[in-house]
Amino acid sequence: MAKIKYLFPYNARFFGIALILVHIPIKFLWDAHYPDGYNHINPSASAADSFLFSPPHLFFIGTTLMVLVGLFLVAFSKEKIEDEQIVQLRLDSLRWAIYLNYAILLFSLVFTHGSDSNHILLLNIWLPLLFFILRFQWVLYRLNRSVKSDETKL
Amino acid sequence: MKNNIRVERAIKNITQAELAGQVGVSRQTINTIESNKYIPSTLLALKIARVFGKSVEEIFSLDDGDLV
Repeated sequence: MAKIKYLFPYNARFFGIALILVHIPIKFLWDAHYPDGYNHINPSASAADSFLFSPPHLFFIGTTLMVLVGLFLVAFSKEKIEDEQIVQLRLDSLRWAIYLNYAILLFSLVFTHGSDSNHILLLNIWLPLLFFILRFQWVLYRLNRSVKSDETKL
Repeated sequence: MKNNIRVERAIKNITQAELAGQVGVSRQTINTIESNKYIPSTLLALKIARVFGKSVEEIFSLDDGDLV
C-alpha cells in the first residue's frame, strides 16, 4: 500500500486536544483581568501596545492561534489504521468542509459589514478545520456503526 | 461492482479481521467491500485475490450498474 504522507502520528491528536483545552483558562484569566474587552481586534491606542509582541497580541497567540494548532493536530493525525478507505473519507470530508465554509463565508460577508465582517474573517482562521473534523468524525462513526450492525445480522 | 469475498472467506474459514490483517487494511474496509459500499483500489483487489490464491476476476466482477 502506498505510504500515507503528510499526516501526524496517531497520538498527536491528544496533544492537540490539550492545546485546545489550555486556551480556556487563559481566556478566563484575561477576561477577569481586563473586563472591558481589551484584545487583539480592539487594542488600546497607548504606546505599550504599539510593539509587535504586546499583551493583546500574546493573548491572541495564546488563545486563537493555539486553538488553530490544536485543531490542526486533531484534524491531521492518523487514524489507528489509516487505510485507503479512510484516506478517501478524509479527502471527501475536506472537500465538503471547504465547500460549506466558503458558502457560509460568502453568505455572511454579503450580509455583514464593518467590524462584524472582521470577526467573521477572524473566525475563518479555524472554522474550515472545525467543519472538517466534525464531518470526518461523523463519517467514521457511521462507518463503525454500519459494521457493528452487520455483525449482529450475521 | 460485486464480489464473492464472503463466500471465499467461508471456504478458507477466515474472519474479516484475519483477511484485513493479511492485506493491511481495517476490518471496516473489508466489511464495506463485502457489502458493496466501498470499491477497493486495484492494488487492494490484487492483494485480496492473492490471499485466496485466485485471479482478481474470480473474486470481483462488473455489475450491471457499472456498464451504464
